[in-house]
Amino acid sequence: MKVRKRKETMLAVALVMTLLLTACAGGKPAAEGQNAAAQGSGEQAAVQGGELTFALATSPDTLDPHRSGLAVAVRVIRTIHDSLVVQLPDHSIKPWLATEWSVSDDGLSYTFKLRKDVTFHDGTPFNAEAVKFNFDRILDPATKAANAAALLQPYKSSEVIDEYTVKLNLSTPSRAFLGNLSQALLGIVSPTAAKKYGDQLGQHPVGTGPFKFVKWDENAEIKVERNPDYHWAPELVTNQGAPHLNGIDFKIVPEEATRIGSVQSKQVLAAETVPPQHILTLKNDAHFQLLEANTVGLPYTLFFNQDREPWNDVKARQAVQLAVDVDSIVKTLYLGTYQRAWSPLTPGTFGYDPSLENAVKPDIAKANQLLDELGWVKGADGVRVKEGKKLTLHYVDGTPNREKRNDIAVIVQQQLKQIGVAVEIEITKDVRTVVYTNGSYDLYGNSQVNSDPNALYSFYHTSDPNGRPSLPRLSNKDVDEWLEQALVEKDDAKREELYKKVQHYIIDNAVIIPVYVFPYTVAAVKSVTGLSFDTLGYPLFNDVSIQP
Amino acid sequence: MAWIVAKRLGSSLLVIFGSLVLVFTILYVLPGDPTDTMIDPSVATPEVIANLRQQLGIDQPFHIQFLRYLMNMIQGDFGKSLINSDPVLPKILEHFPATLALTAASSFVSVVVGVVLGVLSAVHRNRAIDLIARLIGLFGISMPTFWSGILLILIFSITLGWFPAMGSDGWNTLVLPALALGTVGAGFIVRMVRNSMLEVISEQFIVTLRSKGLGEKAIMYRHALRNAMIPAVTMIGMLIGEMLAGTVVIETVFSRQGIGRIIADGIMAKDLPVVQGVILFSAVIYVVVNLLVDLSYSFIDPRVRRSA
Amino acid sequence: MREAVSAEAVWVEPRQEVQPVRKARRFTANDLFLCGAGIIIFFIVACAAVPSWIAPYAPTEMLPGSILLKPSMEHLFGTDYFGRDIFSVMVHGSRDSLLIGFASVLVGGLLGGTIGAVSGYAGGWVDTVIMRLNDIWMTIPGILLALAIAGALGPSLFNIVLAVAVSAVPGYARVMRAQVMSIKNRTFVRASMSIGASPLRVFWRHVLPNSLSPLLVMATIGIGTSILTGSGLSFLGLGVLREIPDWGTLLSQGRGYLTVAWWICTFPGLAITAFVLSVNIIGDRLRDHFDPKKLTQR
Repeated sequence: MKVRKRKETMLAVALVMTLLLTACAGGKPAAEGQNAAAQGSGEQAAVQGGELTFALATSPDTLDPHRSGLAVAVRVIRTIHDSLVVQLPDHSIKPWLATEWSVSDDGLSYTFKLRKDVTFHDGTPFNAEAVKFNFDRILDPATKAANAAALLQPYKSSEVIDEYTVKLNLSTPSRAFLGNLSQALLGIVSPTAAKKYGDQLGQHPVGTGPFKFVKWDENAEIKVERNPDYHWAPELVTNQGAPHLNGIDFKIVPEEATRIGSVQSKQVLAAETVPPQHILTLKNDAHFQLLEANTVGLPYTLFFNQDREPWNDVKARQAVQLAVDVDSIVKTLYLGTYQRAWSPLTPGTFGYDPSLENAVKPDIAKANQLLDELGWVKGADGVRVKEGKKLTLHYVDGTPNREKRNDIAVIVQQQLKQIGVAVEIEITKDVRTVVYTNGSYDLYGNSQVNSDPNALYSFYHTSDPNGRPSLPRLSNKDVDEWLEQALVEKDDAKREELYKKVQHYIIDNAVIIPVYVFPYTVAAVKSVTGLSFDTLGYPLFNDVSIQP
Repeated sequence: MAWIVAKRLGSSLLVIFGSLVLVFTILYVLPGDPTDTMIDPSVATPEVIANLRQQLGIDQPFHIQFLRYLMNMIQGDFGKSLINSDPVLPKILEHFPATLALTAASSFVSVVVGVVLGVLSAVHRNRAIDLIARLIGLFGISMPTFWSGILLILIFSITLGWFPAMGSDGWNTLVLPALALGTVGAGFIVRMVRNSMLEVISEQFIVTLRSKGLGEKAIMYRHALRNAMIPAVTMIGMLIGEMLAGTVVIETVFSRQGIGRIIADGIMAKDLPVVQGVILFSAVIYVVVNLLVDLSYSFIDPRVRRSA
Repeated sequence: MREAVSAEAVWVEPRQEVQPVRKARRFTANDLFLCGAGIIIFFIVACAAVPSWIAPYAPTEMLPGSILLKPSMEHLFGTDYFGRDIFSVMVHGSRDSLLIGFASVLVGGLLGGTIGAVSGYAGGWVDTVIMRLNDIWMTIPGILLALAIAGALGPSLFNIVLAVAVSAVPGYARVMRAQVMSIKNRTFVRASMSIGASPLRVFWRHVLPNSLSPLLVMATIGIGTSILTGSGLSFLGLGVLREIPDWGTLLSQGRGYLTVAWWICTFPGLAITAFVLSVNIIGDRLRDHFDPKKLTQR
């Protein structure tokens, strides 16, 4: 509605585009440095004061980092809590609350020297005891830690060496451990507050971050205010001191049209998760800017279930791989605003193999030929039949229609008609039972934000026969070996090679169909400057200021 | 009279208890498990889940769970949210004012729009004004509220910038949601007022007034309208329940706080204590409103008193 | 609950057996409404019956080159974000939409009507028990019940119908009971009882036929309400995902595109509104027709 095409604004548009291009340099393939956005849009001098209103797409589950499982919660958690270390876009690990660290030769213990000048918002001093308390808290089943517990693995125990030195012991070596420590879900909470509030900490979070928690009106807003004492910002941001903003008012606006409408009507200054159709409009609107950062980890990927016939056969999977036109899906649904994924890893992740790009091209004839070879014959209704059984593919997806994932299923259903595969779509609210407990799917899509390629381990390593099976149910000795080696390999170049082998195997054997890399997007009024993103694509507000 | 009140109160309490049983049973038999949303699927092992189920007490048989819930409820403890351990009753009480404000504002819109259109329609019956008024009323009933809500945002927030698109602080955030929800009630009231007015006009006392030479306008507005208002007002009482339900959709569209939102979220997340609490709470509201309406009948209309 | 309120409020008086003499009358606004409603319903039912005769494209055909096209002669209602012709999708989708409307009213009306009739006719403690249960059922707002059912059983067309039907049952039961009770006490019914006709026979011959009209009015309007409730469920994320979406789903899918491609949700929205409006007009007319006072003919 607000697209302005008048000539006098053309100049402004051009200016915006230039800014965006610099800002979004990190959004391109093989990107390093989404945080380049910080410098890009932070050219204007910072202005002190003001409150940023920021519309969130869903309600956080809790603000207790150790209990949360939602990305939306992390956006708020990150403003309140700091981590021991920070990961830069080039995958290097830098100091944050820890100033330096050493790893024992066997890789089983990490000794951290901590900053001595940090206090929690409630006045509790930050020290080795606090670190030990935090990690032991995550390990304690009473905390009901979810994702944090998974990230902390293989952590075993902590030893307080002196007030500002702490040693963390692992049960097995892990190259992913430091990267995981940089994630907000392993952020450090105030031990005093955690003891005081118990399982209510999520409603009264206390950390050491640049902002202090003020209040949370459920389903309406979360307010945080400037922490004036803050001077331990990580290298990821320009402003090392207290934030420019007086505070942030996170509004919770789940309805897409309303959320974008509230920025367009300037009721809020910024809104996250902009749908593709609005990305284009807002990019062309001189009153607004669009900031984006690609998320890191596993892209949105469709996994075949290799426990089920005929998808245990590589030819059948390859037929589907050749028949699904991912380009067309991404262009249709995301209007070119999401990048297509080619590998089990996203381009920003360590070890990503760019040689896989454009390796698979849709080829209906070859796909048909492969199914012919397997003995599936097209019936009168166009669906292939073999030994009286129809060739069906049971496609499971969850509700609600997040990132138009249900719509992907609808398109895949149409595309596979061409090769005589009947796709049955099941949209369920209860993904855990259908997919994880019963395993009743042929194709299921998922993604994971993660700081380390070791994320591949839980998806592609042969699963423990007593534990829960992995999504693709892959069991391959080579892949297992590569993944195990890569977890402990100290040499980065060798480690990268191992992950490239894994990626190649997965695509060559059509274990999965990678679909898209999710870009985290923020639409903001022009006067907002300095918004940047961390390596995983979460927003950072340290440099934000509101121009008059 | 006191006996009637006592009897009604007694049966209301029974109804509330009944809805408690019904809600608890429905939620108990629904498939799925509250632990689904509490643990990320990638880390949920059977032991973790079993532990959690034990902590929550949902590994117990139905009657034990129900009795425990009932005993706690009598002590004013509605339990805690499974998602974030919020106590349920304070949560409902915190969200209720916003819903109450929305319901009140929507009722106001319904009554004003409904009565004005209904009167116009009756006074100018079978003429263009009648046609238009009734069509507007019918549109109110026939449009999906989420659609009219989004259209209102598009027109009045994005394009004109007159009212905020979302939020629940301040009177101006109430305008658009109240319009979206109020037009539904208005549709019913238009029909009601029109029919009652036409009915009243044919009654003996109006005929008498007319024969006495009283002007048509005076008859319409002073006598017919007043008499036609009674059924319209009672209808508003009944529409309250309808509006409370409508808030589920409207509060989501306009991102307002309120009990409609928490129940929609609660159902999605299988957050049983919250869903139970809210349904029970709205059942109590419904019963109380209807009790008041019933009792007020007995005061207004002596015929009802006799038959009760 | 919506229907319960309106139908009941008007049906305080039972139907009279003696109809007033019909007068010749002029063509009124009501007739205009009725004609319009008739045409709309006829067209929509035709769409549902023979969609492939009316729709110019296959409803599942996705034209990747023509996504989000404006309405034109080629694509009457434009194309959606899959590149499907919206008019064709709607013509084919009318089947599921009407199914949700009619089937849930049928199920809900039959169930509610039976409960109400039994309760009203039996009277005594049976009536008291059933009505108490009915009251309890009514305290839970319909959409919440529908939400809970649809949420628990998962999104399928059948479950949506079930959810909408179940939430409408107590309304039908209440109206039916009130009507049966008033008919039961009429002179002609008492007369046939006194000459020794069996209660069952009296019920089938006299009570039931004379009690159906309010239920019919309510059911007519209920078709519209069901479609609206169904679209509300789609909005809340509990709708059905089928190859050919129904109007509620289409409307709900297109709402995010309102500022970019207004036509995706405008036409399904208008279709729902037009259909529900028509059904309401017919329901109103039926109500007036059965109403002894014949208000609108004055």
